[in-house]
Amino acid sequence: MTDLAARLDRLRGDAPARNHDARTIAALTTNPGCGRRGLMDAAGIDKDAVARYLGFPAPFGQSQFAIARGNAFEKQVKDDGFAELFTLLRERLGLPVPQVAIESLDEVGGNHGSELRHAQTRRALARALAGDGSTLFDHPLLRLDIAGQPAYLEPDVLAFRLGDKFYVIEIKSFAIIDGQADPEQVAAAARQSAVYVLALRRLLTQLGHPATAVSHEVILVCPENFSNQPAAAFVDVRKQLSVIERQLSRISRIDDLVAALPEEMTFELGDGLASAIRAVEARYAPDCVSSCELAFFCRDEARACGSTDLLGIAVRDDVGGVETLATALGLADGSLAPSPEQVEIAAKLRLARLLRAQALEGVA
Amino acid sequence: MRESPESLEQRIAGLRSAVRRALAGGDRTAARALRAELRAAEDSWERAVLGGGDPKPVLLPVREQVHHALSLLGVPAAPKLIVAVHDAFFSGELASSRLTSLRRDEERSFRSAPYSRPYYLCAALTADLLAPARGLLVISTWPLPTRIVGPYSPRADFLTSAIRVAEHTLRTGAGGDAVRPLLWRFAANIPGAAGDHPHDADPRRLLTAATAELEVHTGKDTEQRRQAADRARRQLGDVEQLFGARLAAAARAQNGRLP
Ligand code: SF4
Repeated sequence: MTDLAARLDRLRGDAPARNHDARTIAALTTNPGCGRRGLMDAAGIDKDAVARYLGFPAPFGQSQFAIARGNAFEKQVKDDGFAELFTLLRERLGLPVPQVAIESLDEVGGNHGSELRHAQTRRALARALAGDGSTLFDHPLLRLDIAGQPAYLEPDVLAFRLGDKFYVIEIKSFAIIDGQADPEQVAAAARQSAVYVLALRRLLTQLGHPATAVSHEVILVCPENFSNQPAAAFVDVRKQLSVIERQLSRISRIDDLVAALPEEMTFELGDGLASAIRAVEARYAPDCVSSCELAFFCRDEARACGSTDLLGIAVRDDVGGVETLATALGLADGSLAPSPEQVEIAAKLRLARLLRAQALEGVA
Repeated sequence: MRESPESLEQRIAGLRSAVRRALAGGDRTAARALRAELRAAEDSWERAVLGGGDPKPVLLPVREQVHHALSLLGVPAAPKLIVAVHDAFFSGELASSRLTSLRRDEERSFRSAPYSRPYYLCAALTADLLAPARGLLVISTWPLPTRIVGPYSPRADFLTSAIRVAEHTLRTGAGGDAVRPLLWRFAANIPGAAGDHPHDADPRRLLTAATAELEVHTGKDTEQRRQAADRARRQLGDVEQLFGARLAAAARAQNGRLP
C-alpha cells in the first residue's frame, strides 16, 4: 500500500470504504474545484453518514416510484431475448440480422463477486475483439482506478458492438417527446455514461486495442412520446469525458491536500468531525444540492460567512477575488474602497449597480 | 422409483453420523449440505410411511399449467412468456407470482425422491458454466441441448416460440382477443412479420418471417448448445444435469480459463 493510500485509510478510520460508482464519479465533475469532496471520496468516506451525523441529512437518491418505473422499462426492453432492443438497433443503426448474440455478465454461475465478474467481462470483450464474440454485453462490470484504489462500476448499462466499434447503451425511463428529452436528465445520463465509456476504453487499451474503439457517442434508450415504445438517442459525451479525465488526474494529486492536514486528523464520526471537515476547503455551489451528500452542511457554512459561492459558479467567477457578499455590495455602492487587485472588479460592480438602477427606473 | 422406507432409514442413520463427523471436524460447509440432505431424506421417509404424497399438493395444478405452456413453446421460456401463452390458449388462471418458488420446490422434490415424477420443471443451464440460467424454465424430459442456452439462444428461442405459437394458432383456429396480443408481441419484433396496421399480426406471415430469421441463427446456436451438452454429460452428475452446476463447481470451471 502506498503512503497516500495508508493516510487515506487513516482519515476514514474504522468505517468501511465506500466504492465509487458511476454516479459519484460523475458528481465529481459537477464541482471539480472542491477539495473537500475530492478528499473525502478518495478516502472512501461515507458522506451520507457524515452529513447525517452532523445534522444535515441530504434528501438524496431517486424516489421509489422512479426506480420501479425505470426497472419496469428496462425489463420490458430486455424481455424475449432483448427483442425490442434488437428491433431498435436494427432500425436505427442498421445492425445486421445475424448479430444477435448476448452475453449476461451480471453473475458468474450464481456468484456476484466483483473480481470474478470483472474477469468474466474482460474475457467476453477479449473474445469479441478477436472477432468471435457477442453483440450485446449485459451489465459488464468495469473498473477504474481512483487514487490508487480500484473502483468497480455497478453496471446499469450494456456494451454493444457494431463492426469494430463498441458503444455504451444506457436504458433510462425518462421520456423522449418529439425528439427532445429533459436536458437536465440527459446531462445527468451523459455524465454517468461518460464514466462507463472511459472505463470501457481503459479496459480495451489494456487488451491492446485503441481507446477510440469505444465510441464517444453513447446510446440512450428511452420511452417515446408517452408510449412505452423505446426510442434511441445519441449523446456525444466528449466534453464530459475530458472533464472526468481531468478530474481523475486531479484526484491522483490528492496528496497535496492531505499534506496540508494535521497528521492525527480523522473523519471518523465523533466530536471533532465538523471541525475536521471545515479544515478542508470547500467550494459550495447551488448545484451541490443535486450532486453531493454534504450540500446542506456546506450551504450552511457558506451562508454563515456570506460567501459569494452561494450565488453559483458563474457569479463567483464573475466576481473573482471578492470573497463575500458584503464586500461585493460595498464595492458596488462605493462604501468600500477597493484594494489594488479589486479595482477592476469594483468598476464592473459599480457599473452593474448603475445599470440595475436604470432598469428599475424604466420599469417604474 | 421411490426409495423404500427401510433404505431411507438406513440412509438417515448414515447421514446423521456424517453430520456429526463433519461438525466434529469443523467442516461447516459439508455439515450444512449433509443436513439439508438429511432433512430431505426425513421428509421422504415421512411421506413414504405416513402417506400424503407431495408436501404441497397445491403445487400440482401450477406445475401442470406451466408444463402445458412450456410444451407448446418447446424451448426455455421466462415466466412472463409462460403466463402469456397460458392466458392465450389455456383456461384457468396462472399467476406469475406462483412461478417464483416453483423451480426450488421441484429441485427439492427431485433430491428427496429422484425420478418419482414423470417430469420436473428445471432452470435452463448456461452454456459457458452449465450453471442455472436465471429466470428460464425448461422441462426435464427435453433433450439436454434444448435445455442449455448459449449467446444465440435468447434470439433463436424467441423465434422458435413465435413459430410454435403461430403453428398452434393455425392448427387450432384459435383467435380473438386472447391470442392477438401474444401474436403481436412476436410480430412487432421480427422483420417482415408485422402487417400494415399496428397490432395486426397474421399467424401465417409471422410463421414465414420467424422461420426466415431463425434460418440465419440456427446453425451457430445448435452447434454451441450441442458442444455444451457434451461437456455437461462428461462433467455433471444426474442432479446437476437437470438443475445446474453448483457454485463451487462453477468456480472450478472458471479457474485457469480467466485471463
Ligand atoms: S457540498 Fe460541499 S463537499 Fe460537496 S461538492 Fe459542494 S462544497 Fe464540496
